[in-house]
Amino acid sequence: MIEILIGIISGIISGTGMGGGTILIFLLVYVLGIDQHIAQATNLIFFIPTSIIAIIINLKNKNIALQSAIFISIFGILGAIIGANISIQINVNILRKCFGIFLAIIAIHEIYTIVKWYKKQKLRNNKKNEYIK
Amino acid sequence: MKNISKKIIIGLLAGIVSGLFSTGGGMIVVPAFIYLLNMEDKKARGTSIFCILPMVITSGIFYYRSNYIDWNISILCAIGGMIGGYIGAKILKKIPVQYLKIVFTIFLIYASYKMLFK
Repeated sequence: MIEILIGIISGIISGTGMGGGTILIFLLVYVLGIDQHIAQATNLIFFIPTSIIAIIINLKNKNIALQSAIFISIFGILGAIIGANISIQINVNILRKCFGIFLAIIAIHEIYTIVKWYKKQKLRNNKKNEYIK
Repeated sequence: MKNISKKIIIGLLAGIVSGLFSTGGGMIVVPAFIYLLNMEDKKARGTSIFCILPMVITSGIFYYRSNYIDWNISILCAIGGMIGGYIGAKILKKIPVQYLKIVFTIFLIYASYKMLFK
């Protein structure tokens, strides 16, 4: 039943658009102790049902630029063929380390967006104060 | 159609990352849509999910052929994921995203450390 709990946690995070997949993979590897490849494959299956629902909702709300989406998808499939084949060939430990580097890059990007948001907020407050003066 | 070369690069790059790690395509596609293609936030997110699904299915076929799919774990996680997605949609409106981002970032640093120096 730990699997369902891990799914729930990752599902909640997915809703924020911050990547529930990264959390799912990490928890599967660390809590359940399964192989990096199998954890990644689990994430693929995990993604499919929720994303189909999300796509239907977004299509109804006209939140999808359909022409661009289809064009990009074609190259996305090509990229995925390359990426998946590299991933399958790589040794488990190296793949796990690559994933660690990938997480660090995302963390740096997140820090950057938080700092940017904070600066914007400060600027807005300063302007407000000037206005009061 | 405008920005053809940009779209080709975005698609290829997101596909490669998606295939390699099975995740992270959205983290490339969403900012790329907003900053490179000048899409609005909502449309960028909606379009990103549409683009990522075919990448995920493609990767899935290759992982499946290499016997990396554990259906038992996968289906249980997917069920949890749907419950979590529902809970998330309900509670996330009440929590400021910025605080979640900070928690998420701290988690990422911890996770990447664990992955790199186990």
